[in-house]
Amino acid sequence: MSKQTPANKDHTENDGDNIEVWEDIVSPKDLLISIAICTITTLGGYLIAPNDPSKELMFGLIGVVIGFLICSLIIKPKRTISYIDDEEK
Amino acid sequence: MDITLILEMIAASMFGAVLYTIIGIAPGTDETAVLAPVTLVLVLTGMEPIVILAFFISAIVAKKLTDSIPVAIAGIPGGVMSAPMVEHAMVLKKYGLPDVSIRKMASGSVIGTIISVPLSLMLANLLIPVGGIIAEYSNQIFFGGAVFLALMTKNRWLALLSIIPFALLIQGLRHLYWGIDAVPEDFTVFTSFFLGITLGPIILRLFELMNKEIRNSLPRQKSNNIALRRQKKLKGFPNPFKLLDKKEVGSSAAGSVLGVGTFFMSPVGMTIFLGEVLTSRIKDPIKKASRAISSMDGVTNSAYIAGTLIPLIAIGLPLSPTAIGPGIALFEAPPVFTEDHNLHHILSMSDFVVATVIGAVIAISLTFFVTIKYSQQICTFVFKYIPHEALLGVFFGLVIMLAYRDAGLINIGGVLLVGLVAGVLHRWGVNYGVQFMVLYSAPWIVMQLL
Repeated sequence: MSKQTPANKDHTENDGDNIEVWEDIVSPKDLLISIAICTITTLGGYLIAPNDPSKELMFGLIGVVIGFLICSLIIKPKRTISYIDDEEK
Repeated sequence: MDITLILEMIAASMFGAVLYTIIGIAPGTDETAVLAPVTLVLVLTGMEPIVILAFFISAIVAKKLTDSIPVAIAGIPGGVMSAPMVEHAMVLKKYGLPDVSIRKMASGSVIGTIISVPLSLMLANLLIPVGGIIAEYSNQIFFGGAVFLALMTKNRWLALLSIIPFALLIQGLRHLYWGIDAVPEDFTVFTSFFLGITLGPIILRLFELMNKEIRNSLPRQKSNNIALRRQKKLKGFPNPFKLLDKKEVGSSAAGSVLGVGTFFMSPVGMTIFLGEVLTSRIKDPIKKASRAISSMDGVTNSAYIAGTLIPLIAIGLPLSPTAIGPGIALFEAPPVFTEDHNLHHILSMSDFVVATVIGAVIAISLTFFVTIKYSQQICTFVFKYIPHEALLGVFFGLVIMLAYRDAGLINIGGVLLVGLVAGVLHRWGVNYGVQFMVLYSAPWIVMQLL
């Protein structure tokens, strides 16, 4: 994996490099980064938790939320939204 | 029932409604893949069973209400279940009526929920006497279900032939784990294999991305172009019965009743079928489309609620597509819930009623109001700020964590293996239904081969 920052705007706007996964368009690079981040935060949370079954999952869940927030901040959605104005009928 | 428990149910329902309002709008989210992992985690944290049920009911109602929003606004299904509605919603979009679409669909959903809750509870009550007999033959029923579903797919011989090898893969891994003491003898790995199957198509795609030839041959796109139509504002508090005309209320209600009665069938199949039957005689395209989407949403909602509640209350085994898919954690989430100890055994009839009503009422009052009033704003927010990669990453992370929890490091490899095989089978047309049924009956199938 290259070390360039995933949020690099030029990257997502310049090349038509994205593919469809699960009905939406993603960049393979960003997808790998997101999976890496979420796996690390989730499994990491699970592993650093005190040795108690329900706490382990709670920490894991907190890890998921943290991973999700990080990914949402650094990855730009590959969707272009345009608006169509309706004429009053 | 004490106040704290009721407050907990209300809090869990609100959490479910908010979370699945957002997830429902995100395009292409498969119901099983988004509902099962989160419910599983909540079950495993040791939350009160009755609170889990309230959460789950609220989550499905909210998800079903909101996954029609992207259909109406952008023609993209928000989930597998809303895919059949795209065609009709596109008709309304063509005539410039996406706001009408949303209101009709959401109102259909509400009617479906209102009808299916009491009806499912009643039907479940009627089925309780035969529940025990059905449960005794569960292995045969699941195997029969796998064969039946395999025969219904397009490539039926392929699907049929895949049943035994897939069962061997699952049992093979379980015996390996027992053999090397990765898990204790009395623990059967289930949850993480289930999730491996669910995320199979994505796991397969990820592996393919590492293959240069396949990566270069995949169709490339710069972005997903979504056209949103601006909507007119609606004043006052929306009333589902006023947003639909009498005939639409009638056919949504009829569809909902049929949806409850056919709880053991595929909800997507029933939605398509009933949607066609209920509207085939209408000529005017706008009327036909709005009748179709309102009644289809009624059907999906009631099929989902009935498919969850009836097997839970009457049988205790996941004998419906909804139960064995999104609702699996309510039946089987070892070590908390097992075949002989799950919501069916723990909750009383009044518990079921209270949890279902709290979940449904909270989801409807929060999500219906928000859906009708602010669908455009929510849609824009989700499309603009929630990257699809983050959603995929979240579910992948959850699956890896639960795999590790089930049987340690080795099971991460095991789940990837299951996912890889399941993903290939899925692409060949062997649907989730067949695979889940095999997962359930694998121990029995393997014993028959000796």
